Parts: sequence; C-alpha cells; structure tokens
Amino acid sequence: MNSSGSDNVILSVCDLDCSYGELQVLHKACLNINKGEVVALFGPNGHGKSTLLKAVCGLNASSKGSVKFAGSEIIGTESDQIVEKGLAYISEARNIFNDMTVLENLRLGAYNRRARKKVKENLEFVYSLFPKLFERTEQMAGTLSGGESRMLAVGRGLMSDAKLLLVDEPSIGLSPIMKKTVFGAINRIKKTTDISVLVVEQEVDYALAVADRIYLLKKGEVILERKAGEIKKSEIEKAYF
Amino acid sequence: MALGLSLVYGVTHIFNFGHGIVAVSGGYFTWLFMNKAGLGMIPSIGVSMVIMFFIGLGLYRFTLSRLLKKENWEFSVIIFLLGLGIFWENILLQSFGPRVKDIPNFFDGRFKMGLVRINYHDISLIVIVILFVIALNYFIKKTWFGQAMRAVAQDMDGARIVGINLKKTFGYAFALATAVTGFSGILLATKFYMTPNIGWAWMVKGFVIVVFGGLGSITGAIYAAFILGMAEATITFFLGPMWVWPIWFFMFLIILLIRPNGLMGGRTL
Repeated sequence: MNSSGSDNVILSVCDLDCSYGELQVLHKACLNINKGEVVALFGPNGHGKSTLLKAVCGLNASSKGSVKFAGSEIIGTESDQIVEKGLAYISEARNIFNDMTVLENLRLGAYNRRARKKVKENLEFVYSLFPKLFERTEQMAGTLSGGESRMLAVGRGLMSDAKLLLVDEPSIGLSPIMKKTVFGAINRIKKTTDISVLVVEQEVDYALAVADRIYLLKKGEVILERKAGEIKKSEIEKAYF
Repeated sequence: MALGLSLVYGVTHIFNFGHGIVAVSGGYFTWLFMNKAGLGMIPSIGVSMVIMFFIGLGLYRFTLSRLLKKENWEFSVIIFLLGLGIFWENILLQSFGPRVKDIPNFFDGRFKMGLVRINYHDISLIVIVILFVIALNYFIKKTWFGQAMRAVAQDMDGARIVGINLKKTFGYAFALATAVTGFSGILLATKFYMTPNIGWAWMVKGFVIVVFGGLGSITGAIYAAFILGMAEATITFFLGPMWVWPIWFFMFLIILLIRPNGLMGGRTL
C-alpha cells in the first residue's frame, strides 16, 4: 500500500474483525489514514462500512484486531475516552438532541475536556462553514429540516475539536443542493484545517471529488485501495455487483 | 417527590417503585441527626441529602448497573427496587418503631390579614420549593453535567457520540434524584408526619402527578403538581376530602384520553 511514513499516519486499522451476534460483518479489514487526508470508503450496502466506523470509535463492543489512533491502541477503549483523544463520529442517523436548541447541541459537541476550552473558536468555525446554523441558534433542533440537521450533526462533530472525523453517509436523504453544501464543507475542512476525514458514501461522484484516496470494502474485507485521481466512478460501481 | 421520580425516569428509563421509601428515608435521616446527634435543622438536612446522594450512587454502582446489562432489565429493576424498598421499610420499622414522627416546622406562628391566616411555615415551604425548582432547572440547563443528563435522556447514541459516559451519567442522575427525593421527604415530614410505611401513600400521589404531567418531563411534573394541588384544595373546600381521589383519577383519565403521554409527555427534560 502506498501510505507514506508511519509518523504521518493518524489512524491505522489492522485485521479488524467485527460481528453482530453470530453474524461476522468485518473480516480482517485494514486501512490507513494520513494526517490531513480525506479518505472515502465505498462499498455496497450491508457490507460493513458503517460497522467499521462504529468499531473504530468504540460504539461496537464486539470488535477485535488493532485500531491505532495517533500512535496508541484504542480498541476496547470506552467511546467517551476515544472522543477525548480526538476522534469524532458523525452518524448516518444524525443522533442530534431534538428537544435542545441548535446552540445547545453544538455546545454538547464540545463535551470532552479538550474541546471545552475551545468552544468559542470552534463555534466560529462551524458558523462560518454553515451560516444557516447561525441563523437558527435558538431554534429547537427537532424542528430543523433534513439538510439543516445534517449540518448540525457535522457541526457538532467539529465542535469536539477532533483530529479525525468519521463521517457516515453525509448525503443520505438530502437534495442535490444540500449534498453540495455538505461536501463543500468537507472540502473546506480539508483545505483550511489539518483535520483528517474518513467518509463513507454512496454518492461516488461527490465523494470522489473531495477525496485524496479511496478504499473499497466488500463482504467485510478491504479489497481495493487507490488514489482518488486514478480511479473512475464506473470502476468503483462495477465492484458493487 | 414527583421531580425525583421524573428525573430518574427521564434519564435512565427506570421506574422506581421504591421511590416513596426513599423520600421517607430522607425524613428519617434528618430526624435522626436532629434528635440523636443534636445537630441543628439545616445541617441535618444538608448531611441527610449528602448521605442520600451517596446511597443513590452506591445503589446504582453496585446493583443497578449490573441489572441493566440483562436483556429484560426493565422488569428485573422494577422488582428489585420494589423488594429493596420493602426491605428498607422494615429496617426503618425495626430501628425507629411504628410511631408517628415529625420534623419541627421551620417557623412558628402565622400570618394574619383579616380572615386570611397562613402559617409562616407554609410560606417558607412554598419559597423553598420555588427556589429549589429554579436551582434544579438552572443546574440541568446550564451545567455540563445537567446538559449531559438531558442529552442521555434525548438520544443515548447521540450522547455516546459526543463523548458522554453513559454509566457515569446514569449513576449521578440516580444519585441526584435520590437526594432530591430525600429532600422532598424532609419537607413533607415538616408539614405532615411520617411513619415507616407512609412512603406508599406519598408515592401514589407522586406517581399520579408524574404520569399526569408526562413521564420524564420536569416541567410537566411542575404543572401537574400545581393543577392537581389546586384541584385538591378546591375539592376539599367544596365537597370534602373524600372526593379528592375520585376526582383526581377522573381528571387523570381525561388527560390520558386527550394526551396519552401526559400533559408534556413525549418531550424530554
């Protein structure tokens, strides 16, 4: 694999097994992410992409193998400790707090001790990324539109002052304009910060446009790794079937 | 009383059937410190609440957190707390005896204006409860821990994602609710009296208020307590106290017909 020197690697997943009860979903999955890089993870539905993200951030207890984040082993660590280390997960289901205001949701994103000191500057960054959220600070999160609550979920993830964002299908259920907004935000994160991003996505076009590298996951195994410029959409989609 | 019940249910979805006895324990602890240790009233209340807090915490750490890992934890937790409540009630009965005990009023005397007479003690109770509710509300809305409790109540996965430790939050919420409930028991014991088994009577009232207001909703519980309290006073005045329960339950049924989740049900903390 063509990842560069190991001190440049922020996340390295190696031989990751994961199962739900009897059903094993991940089989010795491996991938690496370098500092500041945007990596896209493609693959058919139900082949373990989301499971991989959840396992990395400690939300799936059954995972075995090795997950190294910023040099230290984090497998088996409680999820709140993992967030503390600088890894943020943005779920496909959004999981925002409906009966709280937008601002309260964002502040809770900064729950970990590191992020509490940086609430102000991170909040400014989130608002500059999504001016829409700034307009709605006092609105209840449950009354937001699908696109707005997606922005809120991404914003809340950024509030945690993460070094690596794991983004699970950010475009799902969104209009084309909203998809552009969300991927525009990922592009700005890539250009203006040193945060790394691992994004799972069905919309190959959008993800391919921002990613540096891509991985393809099929039947719980990582079967392909390429630079984003060296692969065409059709090649990726061919692997789906 | 109702607040404690609502707090626990809202955060952890545990319905505490031993709740009445928790309130009574608060009263007995305070009585114990005042009469046997010779402490003043306010220090006794303070110490009792601290003890209640740690009892709640210990109860959660050593028993409930284990039960919660089971698959049908809802049922086992209910039975466990009910059993523990009965056990504890009998311990109180053994150590304090069945005779009526009470905690003295905060203030003696009453306020007179024409035909109106109000005990200073009642006024102080109202003030204390209002201040307490404001403080609790501030705590829940403005502190990191309060926000964490709301977050857990609204979306457990979301709470884990932002880095909230569920076990810790559950434990402290349970402890806080135990202390709040103990405090309510102390207030009730100053206004009325207590015996080891009076908790059940208190709990039924608290239960009606909480479900009326919407399980897990603090604001709902406050509205419900106000509405049902006014109703109780009016009914007692015009029809006599024996009508309180029938009319309460009638109102209860009407509310549940219109809003099956209670007055403010479905919303959380």
